[in-house]
Amino acid sequence: MLTDDHITYIIKDLNYRGIVAEGIQDELIDHVCTAVEAEMRKEKRFIDAYHTVLKRFGHTGGLREIQKQTLQSENKPKNMIKNYFTVALRNLRKHSFYTFINVAGLSLGISICFIIVLFVRHELSYDRHFANADRIYRVHSELKFGGNHYNMTYAPAPMAAQLAQDYPEVAAAIRFRERGSYLVKRTTENIREDRVIWADKDFFKVFQVPVLAGDPAKALTEPNAIAISQRIAEKYFPGEEALGQTLILDDKINAKITAIYQNLPSNTHFHFDILIAMEGLDEAKSPVWLSNNFQTYVLLNEGASVSQLNAKIPALITKHMIPQLADALGPDFTLEKFTAEGNLFAYTLEPLTDIHLKSALSGEFEPNFDITYVYLFGAVAAFILLIACVNFMNLSTARSANRAKEVGMRKVMGSMRSHLIRQFLMESILLSMVSFVLATVLAYLLLPVFNSLASRELSIPFSNPNLYAVIAIAAVFIGMLAGIYPSFFLSAFKPVSVLKGNVALGMKSGFIRSSLVVFQFTISIILVIGTMAVFRQLNYIQNKKLGFNKDQVIMIDDAYALGDNKQAFKEMVKQDPRILNATISGYLPVSGTWRSDTPWWAEGKEAKAENMVSMQNWAVDYDYITTMGMTVKEGRGFSPEFPSDSTAVILNEAAALALNFNGEVVGSRIQTFDADYVTEVDRNKLQTLTVVGVVENFHFESLRQNVSPVMMFLAKRPGGIISFRIQAGNTQEIVTNIEKKWKELAPGQPFTYYFLDERFNNMYASETRLSKVFGIFTGLAILIACLGLFALTSFTAEQRTKEIGIRKVLGASVSSIVLLLSKEFGKLIAIAFVLAAPAAWYGVNWWLKDYTYKTEIGIGLFLFAGIAAFVVAWVTMSFQSFRAATSNPVDSLKSE
Amino acid sequence: MHSPELLKGTLQTIVLKVLKDHGRMYGYEITQRVKELSDDRILLTEGALYPTLHKLEAEGMLRTETETIGKRVRKYYSLTPQGRSLVKERVSEFVAFIKTMGNVLQVELG
Repeated sequence: MLTDDHITYIIKDLNYRGIVAEGIQDELIDHVCTAVEAEMRKEKRFIDAYHTVLKRFGHTGGLREIQKQTLQSENKPKNMIKNYFTVALRNLRKHSFYTFINVAGLSLGISICFIIVLFVRHELSYDRHFANADRIYRVHSELKFGGNHYNMTYAPAPMAAQLAQDYPEVAAAIRFRERGSYLVKRTTENIREDRVIWADKDFFKVFQVPVLAGDPAKALTEPNAIAISQRIAEKYFPGEEALGQTLILDDKINAKITAIYQNLPSNTHFHFDILIAMEGLDEAKSPVWLSNNFQTYVLLNEGASVSQLNAKIPALITKHMIPQLADALGPDFTLEKFTAEGNLFAYTLEPLTDIHLKSALSGEFEPNFDITYVYLFGAVAAFILLIACVNFMNLSTARSANRAKEVGMRKVMGSMRSHLIRQFLMESILLSMVSFVLATVLAYLLLPVFNSLASRELSIPFSNPNLYAVIAIAAVFIGMLAGIYPSFFLSAFKPVSVLKGNVALGMKSGFIRSSLVVFQFTISIILVIGTMAVFRQLNYIQNKKLGFNKDQVIMIDDAYALGDNKQAFKEMVKQDPRILNATISGYLPVSGTWRSDTPWWAEGKEAKAENMVSMQNWAVDYDYITTMGMTVKEGRGFSPEFPSDSTAVILNEAAALALNFNGEVVGSRIQTFDADYVTEVDRNKLQTLTVVGVVENFHFESLRQNVSPVMMFLAKRPGGIISFRIQAGNTQEIVTNIEKKWKELAPGQPFTYYFLDERFNNMYASETRLSKVFGIFTGLAILIACLGLFALTSFTAEQRTKEIGIRKVLGASVSSIVLLLSKEFGKLIAIAFVLAAPAAWYGVNWWLKDYTYKTEIGIGLFLFAGIAAFVVAWVTMSFQSFRAATSNPVDSLKSE
Repeated sequence: MHSPELLKGTLQTIVLKVLKDHGRMYGYEITQRVKELSDDRILLTEGALYPTLHKLEAEGMLRTETETIGKRVRKYYSLTPQGRSLVKERVSEFVAFIKTMGNVLQVELG
């Protein structure tokens, strides 16, 4: 009915009356057209019909009212957020340089934080996966005897059974016994397995490891029964049923596989692959309480109190151990006198979940971590994140002068303060979201690097929905944290003064900003000093005079695989002129090799506790001292020319001092009970050795510890490790040559070798790791701080373009302008240094207090760190300052 | 003519119920249909209708589709599954209200 002309007329007219909003315009046009058609059916002319309809709508005012109400009825908050979002995006895009700096700094900071959080989470989760983890405890032994102080995981053989028997709150108690690595074969070829342990039959009751095949309750009950991990089952019996099969250990034990258990997760403090039934170990049946060799774990009943049980253990010791001690130490032994002399035999239970982070005893199955480092890492993560947030705050407030006009204008147009705060927060949250996405990608890429540095196997749990929730919440939180100060600061501007130009913001109002820069650099300088101190200590350890020569020594493990051919092998290899010397002994001056100690006393003194010196007893051969490069201070080394050397002993200086001889050390004799400490101690049989020499003290454990007394004697059947001192150069060729000889004399046995200096460095693996990780964190912290400083200076330079132009016109030199621009920040860095130095000094001393032998941290290191920070900051700033100072004043002044 | 004051609270219910009974409709059609059903006693003003339609759409109760007829664009509304369940709720709520009003005002209802 309506012609196209009519419709065009209506569209134009409604448009003219202000009906323009998308979403309602078309609808109203159609409605009016339909209504007009209806009117025209009543024989009205078009124009009359149209006016009737318009009248019904209430003309222009009514139409507009409909439009307004319709728009308002649509979801209001959603629209506003969309608007904030659009404006925020526009703002960020407009200042892409600052956005880039902010996003780069934030995402770097967040990715580091992310990795550290993953790491900390992993460290805190150790052993918590075991059912009953909260009811499992390990026996911790503290022994003080003969001038030595031990904190260890080893307990006497009968203790586990006695605990279970005497105390009803103990549900089960088990022991482990380490006997080093084993050669394992199915038929012919031996493979060396390191993670082998003897374990009591209740292992699966205490540690409920999922068992895939076999009955866990019966698995370790028979002698020669073994339980193996899935890994071992797949290695020796690929694609076959391993249960019930046999493996041969060390060429002599025919071990029957009675259970296959799931591989232990990485966050466990042990990773045994083969468990051998303790039934088959004679030593385990020993009734002697004086020898500590068994790691002992107990499972308590539900509701049992560990502190009450701990209080009962001394009674157990008094009942079982003290009588044996009295027998060994002679008739005049009394417990009172024994303890009055400072001796102690204390056993306590420590929670399983504390082992990984709070325990560093001798005899730990694997190196543990330290809870203080967990805190330290957490603090570093937080600081790096804060530095990144500070960048954001600084840049936003510094640019406030530019945005002051925007704020004034928005307020004049009716914006309320809350709107502006929301607008600014939206910007920072948006930025933080983008940074989080980038950070996740970055963390994913950096994680392998971190894993190899920290020797962990962390991964981002992408399949865990919590991850995304945490990321989203953290993104909003970080956005709020970084945006809250700028948004309140910016929204507080008074529109009148801003628009009149009375607000001289920018650099002058920067007290808070200056403090934040000082904060950033204080943290950076502390990190620099800390890292340098760790590096220096490591360097000191590597170059310290150790009392032996750790370089150019090859160690060949598992000499026992050679059987009776050990000596022959040694001689055969020595024919090579590049082999300077060779020795056979399992006792070497690096941790992880054999150790054994017994109390000795100087002949002529009474065999009483106060005269006894607990010493390392090292069985060596004639060539030991020369091969290790030790220095003989008095007397001589062992020599085949003296047949009497079979009863000779060589002491280290610490031992010579502790034994407190009456006359000359060389020629004196020392004594001990002739006993193996496994079956029984016989006071009547004594063993006597004559001192023929004293060697200079040498460090055989980590430099965290003092050198303790050592005695060396000639072994009747030397064994353990064969060490060769070799000529420098051609190392690979020499090793190949040795391996060839090994294959001849020990066919089918695995050939494993190490270098002594490598093993030595392994003792400091955690320090090396710490220094590397810290070095990287420090570098990144400084990088992020400098990013901020860079942006801040470029902003200042931009702000002061006109000032610089005028100064130049008036004759200022480039250097004076550079100085002018850098001076302010220079001051801040000086303040940061003054704040950082004492804090760093305190921290470094705290870390070094664990070392008996430590480097001097002089003032030089502090000065170096301060100057380094200053130079880096100055270089960062001068780039922008220089650009500003060299620009042509005409360019900046002509526009005014 | 009923007073607009009385209609105010029932507008959504009316729109929803009409859409339920007739499937998809456009704005003008709805006003005409209501007029017809109420024997000219209820006249939906455009000023009340369109905000209601847009609000219901924003809440996800209605969906729309457009058709172009020559130069005109016509927008049709229909119920979403969510809207469908809302209709029942609203109608039974209204019936209960009428009953209550009957009791309160002491009158017999139809």
